[in-house]
Amino acid sequence: MIPDWLAELGAERAQLLPGGASKEAWAVDVDGQQLLLRRAGGSVIHQGTLTLAQEFEVLRAAHAAGVKVPRPIAYYPELGGREAFAMERVQGETIGRRIVREPPPGLPVQMAEELAKIHAIPRERLPFLVELDPVERMRRELDGVDEPHPAIELGLTWAAERLRRDRAPVVTHGDWRIGNLVVTERGLGHVLDWEFAHVADPAEDVAWPLVRAWRFGADERRLGGVGDVEPYLERYVELTGADVTLDELYVWEVLGNAKWAVGCLTQARRHLDGLDRSVELAVLGRIAAEMEYELLDLIGRA
Amino acid sequence: MPDRPNALELLEAVREFLADEVLPRQSDQRMKFRTLVALNALGIASRELSAEPRNSLLEGDAELARRIRAGDVPEDAVPRLKEHVAAKLRISNPAYLEKYE
Repeated sequence: MIPDWLAELGAERAQLLPGGASKEAWAVDVDGQQLLLRRAGGSVIHQGTLTLAQEFEVLRAAHAAGVKVPRPIAYYPELGGREAFAMERVQGETIGRRIVREPPPGLPVQMAEELAKIHAIPRERLPFLVELDPVERMRRELDGVDEPHPAIELGLTWAAERLRRDRAPVVTHGDWRIGNLVVTERGLGHVLDWEFAHVADPAEDVAWPLVRAWRFGADERRLGGVGDVEPYLERYVELTGADVTLDELYVWEVLGNAKWAVGCLTQARRHLDGLDRSVELAVLGRIAAEMEYELLDLIGRA
Repeated sequence: MPDRPNALELLEAVREFLADEVLPRQSDQRMKFRTLVALNALGIASRELSAEPRNSLLEGDAELARRIRAGDVPEDAVPRLKEHVAAKLRISNPAYLEKYE
């Protein structure tokens, strides 16, 4: 059954894909073209995420910069009463647990090459992207949770004392990890999920896939469960000239664990506050402790 | 005292229903996953109901969180907080702690 607003686009086939309540994803075929349509959902969107209009602009800028992204097709300010955009529907694996089972050997270096291109996107092209202090931002979000979390506070304070603050900020992806990358047998196919893009120290993106939760159980491969950090970091430094070090990534890894712990708590609050009722979001509130333990362990071993 | 089944026994009955009757009938991957998440939620609730009352270490949470944010980190903060978080994990996900042994 194709909704009227999709029939008006000329859709021959349409399927709503499972996902969050704040943004819908539709697989749509129009004129033999396979499209993915992102459309605002009925629920309030997450704080700190881009609107669909902004996300489409980021996608266009990334495409223009030569980043492997699904080709942006069109933005619709009003499609059945909500904003939406269409992009090419790409093939490949995005499920983390499946990717880490047999990761393509070239993936770490390919990740570095793609990330270097992302960090070269001209900031002027995306003037709506905001620059935020990562520690202050997380403290604010944690305050919104209204529940004391001394372990997360320790992660934030520990990292705040050690972060470099003198590097020129760049356009960042904001959720750079396995799960948001389309992987094929040849390696990295496409980069997805740009809604957390912002302006920050590039080391933030570089370190995010190191966080244990994004290794999807393949804990011995520190880079996202797919490989070693060293070749990835080396290639990134070679391409960008940024003097990011392993020691620095360790600090960002602690901060990344604090960030995902806070993310879990705020998502559970979406359930508790009735914005998005779901047992999956509810359980995240109890998963935050895993990141708390990991960051304490990292600090203890530093 | 409520009549039997008590809260734990009711959770166990729902767990068995989901695991033995609902889960095997799910062909949709998404529904299968959500059913497993629901089972996990019931497991957490059962362990919480069977656990000892929270110990006094946890009661100073708010004060400790404020101190740490202000930069006044107690010397024993890491081991103390590890014990506190391990207690939470023994309820939410006991298997997770094995990764650190």
